[in-house]
Amino acid sequence: MDPQSTIIMGKAIGAGLAMIGAAGGGIGIGLAVGGAVMAMGRNPDHTATIQTNMILGVAFAEAVAIYALVVSLIILFVLS
Amino acid sequence: MNSFWNGKRRFVALLMFLAGVFVALRVPPAIPFIQLPGENFPEGYNFPITDIRLTNTMVGAVIVWVLLLLFVVYVSRRRPKDGNEVPPGGFYNMFEMLFEGLMGFVGGIAGGRHFRLIFNMFMTIFLVVLLANWMELVPGVDTIGFIHPHVKEKYDPVADEYKAVTTDGFEIYQGFLGFSYVNAQCDWISPADEATADEMALANAEVAAMAARQTLIEDEAYERYKAEHGGHDDVEHAEDDHAGEAGDDHGDRAEDAGDTGAVAVARQEALDARTAEKQARRDRGCYTGVAVSSWEDGYEPADKEKKKEPIPLHPDPASEEAKRVPWVVLPFVRVPSTDLNMTLTLALISFVMIQYIGFKALGIGYLTKFFNFGTLFKSPLGGIDVAVGLLELIGDFAKILSFSFRLLGNIFAGSILLFVMSFLIPILPWPFFILEFFVGVIQALVFALLTAIFMNLATVSHHHDDDHDHAEAH
Repeated sequence: MDPQSTIIMGKAIGAGLAMIGAAGGGIGIGLAVGGAVMAMGRNPDHTATIQTNMILGVAFAEAVAIYALVVSLIILFVLS
Repeated sequence: MNSFWNGKRRFVALLMFLAGVFVALRVPPAIPFIQLPGENFPEGYNFPITDIRLTNTMVGAVIVWVLLLLFVVYVSRRRPKDGNEVPPGGFYNMFEMLFEGLMGFVGGIAGGRHFRLIFNMFMTIFLVVLLANWMELVPGVDTIGFIHPHVKEKYDPVADEYKAVTTDGFEIYQGFLGFSYVNAQCDWISPADEATADEMALANAEVAAMAARQTLIEDEAYERYKAEHGGHDDVEHAEDDHAGEAGDDHGDRAEDAGDTGAVAVARQEALDARTAEKQARRDRGCYTGVAVSSWEDGYEPADKEKKKEPIPLHPDPASEEAKRVPWVVLPFVRVPSTDLNMTLTLALISFVMIQYIGFKALGIGYLTKFFNFGTLFKSPLGGIDVAVGLLELIGDFAKILSFSFRLLGNIFAGSILLFVMSFLIPILPWPFFILEFFVGVIQALVFALLTAIFMNLATVSHHHDDDHDHAEAH
């Protein structure tokens, strides 16, 4: 196999492996939103507060997935 | 809703849909060309006065500032001076609604002594990021720009020659005497490859040496040709033969390259011609337009023989061989939030403001949040306090990273999504535009909201006056 295609192969596999980290973010967001919706159902008066906190939690959970995305983007487009 | 689609609007929508179908069938979509750093403009497009090369994300950022300034001027002019005026409507009212709603929103989170400062930061960051994010929905952003071949030259030290590579660094042809097309000046596609002045001089010297060597090889071939086909005619040929006899050795020939007579003149002429050709290629380097052309038979020629053929660096777009070159577009404007420079700057501003408001609220005592040695010898768990303080310090710097990468990652991924979806389904990528509309709002809100929350946290002391501060806030 010629070295160039080996490099491309390595990059693709590495980027794909890095994106496994996004699964954690997905689980986290699902838990956060699920909890928030249940809370809103129980006491709708506090919807605004719950929503704010939910968005915050989702942002934090998403950040981890975004790190994985950035790593894979760097592997794909910056690493040469 | 129903009345909206009655009458002429229906036909306009139908017409646009048909135009979309026609364009999608008629014109091959541009290859999605993805580059993480902001793309540099070609030479000559500098930031005014300075010698900083413009990037397309910079242009996007400038557009955002100008729009924001225009909004500020507009809103402050339309603002009713007293209560007796007619309530304003339309565009102005939208701003009023936005400000009122978000004021209540932030007031619920950080409605303390420092509400004004926190709200100002919140609103500024929110509007800047919102405008920047929504730029990806504007038609023409990311799609209209300079069109250039997806090719540049790279020096291969092993083979000692210049090879044409795609801007990703993939070789696209081999074994061709590429150096007659060397164009070190037009290396503007990838900023990472931009050479310094010294490197440029070195490269130019290298190019000159290679050109000289090439001339020698050509001369030799010419003379061999002459020798085979008999040089019998005139004085010039006699001289040529003479020169050939005199310098059998290559090294000798290289040394007396400056010999007088017709050979030298011819050599000079050939060099001049090559220089002129190079300059012409350089001048033809960039075009302006919309990305419509793509590589006809895919990224790689299916035909093995065709692969061997050299691909021209700067082909004439009208020619046949231009069809073999992957053309990409360097957009005039790119979404500024897809550039780490912009998001990192915003994150740094946010970080500095968090520390500023901390010092403003708590004075020098704010530092005890990070360097908490007060309880070290007083309580048995004092060491833990110290560790917690250091963790807070690290966490504060991690905020910069997480702020900048969250925005960059979301919006960059969003614009890639739009790009790829427009490439795959050129007629109906609208659902993804709606998705990105919301992602833009949410990311702007998250960035601004986190800044507001961290600023509010920084004003709250960790110690016993905690309760006092809370009492004041409520």
